[in-house]
Amino acid sequence: MRFMMLMIPKGYEVAEAGTMPSADAVAAMMKYNESLKKAGVLLSLDGLHPPSMGARVTFDGGKPKVTDGPFTEVKEVLGGYWMIQVRSREEAIEWAKRCPASANEIIEIRQVQEFADFPTDVQKALDGFTDMQPHLAHTKAS
Amino acid sequence: MRFMIIIKATPTSEAGAMPDQKLLEAMGKFNEELVANGIMLAGEGLQASSKGARVHFKGNDRTIIDGPFAETKELIAGFWIWQCQSLDEAKAWVKRCPNPFNEESEIEIRQVFELEDFGDEITPELRESEERLRAELTNRKPN
Repeated sequence: MRFMMLMIPKGYEVAEAGTMPSADAVAAMMKYNESLKKAGVLLSLDGLHPPSMGARVTFDGGKPKVTDGPFTEVKEVLGGYWMIQVRSREEAIEWAKRCPASANEIIEIRQVQEFADFPTDVQKALDGFTDMQPHLAHTKAS
Repeated sequence: MRFMIIIKATPTSEAGAMPDQKLLEAMGKFNEELVANGIMLAGEGLQASSKGARVHFKGNDRTIIDGPFAETKELIAGFWIWQCQSLDEAKAWVKRCPNPFNEESEIEIRQVFELEDFGDEITPELRESEERLRAELTNRKPN
């Protein structure tokens, strides 16, 4: 089963452009990342620049509207993510607990939708999507 | 540059409802265009937060809270990772995306950190570990 661990750092929603984690924080996180990799559960991971360097697009009545960050009314934003492959939701939670996160951070665990999770009509419509991502070919139901 | 294109949750996605045929076909066409233009690197849908959990950290304490989580607007339903020349290019592509839901919805665009962004903050050893980790992830054969 695949899960995403979503890092939600409080305050990141108003972080200035160019905000960087400290070398110490990066070193601690790298140790954790290495442990995920050693255990064979790590599929991918990325850190995200703050929303002040991003944008949002809304689709009201089908018309796209772009708004540049930061988004002052928002209370939670992503700081980064890991994608892991584990045997159960409990195992994913155990890994999240081991993250060297601080008191102002939350990790949200979310299960990734697999091709096999969808009913057959949706699977038919999705045919070819996993081929767009060769590294995921193994997740396609045979 | 890489961007995470985040599809925000809606009451529909949180209810675990399936997308309809028309929407799936429109998304399928859009994904094909993304691939044809070398934009798409990855993309996934996430199960509703009712199947998820959150971990709160306080010193050595860990508190687990099961989903669902109330603030639908702040949750995510799915994502892509795209490779684009600039934030403007990412915005232009998002504008072409079919509305992911048959209701008001939102897509957030966030730039992904690259090693070069860290500059002097990163020691040569850390830099090397990070590069090695990335290389191994790319070459990893899924089980």
